Amino acid sequence: MRKADELIHDVVTYAQIPSARRRREIQRELTAHIEDFVDAARDAGHEEQEIELLLMAHFGDARQVAEGFLHVYRYERRTFLVFAYALSTLLIASSLLMAILGIQTGLAFGFGTPISELLASKHTVVQALDIVAFVAVYLGLTLLETQFERCRFQKAAIMLAAIGAVLTMSCRAMGFHPAFLFYGLITGLFFRAVRLFIPAEVARVGIVLVCFVLAGFSFALLRSPVSLVDLFVTCASWLALGMGYLLMSRLAPRVDAAVLDRLQRI
Amino acid sequence: MEIDTQFLKGSISLLLLHLLSRGELYGYEILQEASRRSANAFDFKEGTLYPALHQLEKKGQIKAEWRTAENGRKRKYYSLTPKGKKTAVAYERQWQHLTGAMAAILESK
Repeated sequence: MRKADELIHDVVTYAQIPSARRRREIQRELTAHIEDFVDAARDAGHEEQEIELLLMAHFGDARQVAEGFLHVYRYERRTFLVFAYALSTLLIASSLLMAILGIQTGLAFGFGTPISELLASKHTVVQALDIVAFVAVYLGLTLLETQFERCRFQKAAIMLAAIGAVLTMSCRAMGFHPAFLFYGLITGLFFRAVRLFIPAEVARVGIVLVCFVLAGFSFALLRSPVSLVDLFVTCASWLALGMGYLLMSRLAPRVDAAVLDRLQRI
Repeated sequence: MEIDTQFLKGSISLLLLHLLSRGELYGYEILQEASRRSANAFDFKEGTLYPALHQLEKKGQIKAEWRTAENGRKRKYYSLTPKGKKTAVAYERQWQHLTGAMAAILESK
């Protein structure tokens, strides 16, 4: 019975149960139930088409059936989503860091800046923390947005800002100043807003280009004295960072979905 | 008479634990048994039954096992755990108390 198979498939899909073993078991149990229902209907003298209609009427809407399972397995689902989120963040952040460091190393090499100075500096650690914070905020926004029906970005942004404020205050209370959290929040919100509200990719590239070159320029001027080569390298480095972030904002949801899909098969 | 689903949802754990206290059953048998024993008053749907069974299993009140049924097909049989037996007794007492109190209110003039 194709409709019965579709119904079971829909129930299992909508229920969003994280464990593949559990999904298979529910599928098997519902299939067994339908077999019994069909046997009983046949014994009662119903025609095949009639049985299908009876089954659909008795089972009800797949979403309603799934809602029950969704409620039962809500804690497992939340734990699973948090785990998938952490894994995606680490995966994307490390890839992005490698790519950005690669570009920056190339730039340093091209302009004759010692590479050891770039890679073995405190700057690299700060940059790594910034990137992790940015990816965590960006993916956190996309995850939180799915929890709301309306004004998704705005509500997710407020929630994340609140979480960020609590984390910052907790860190400060322990005598640690997490500037990367603030940086992550600002860049995460900026790139999410660019991705959501600027429809054309060319315009997005333009905005990021202007903002990041200006940011690089401002940071370079803060250092004194600054040579023209230093100014150029800093601007180019910031531009590489911005473009890396923009590319990440395009690829991250796909990577996150792929990680989620892979984990759900386990 | 059709029973409001909210009434049913509140009492489904008691209903399932009680049905399973008489012996192990699989999903379809539970529906049939509930319908038969209540003279078709309880005709609840799969969407109510299976999530409720999984919830009870998660709480450790019932356990499940796949076995071959009389018709030769594999079925998932549910049975009470010791914890489930205790809960069933406690729920039945609460129910008797509640229905007694409710009846007293409804019958008072």
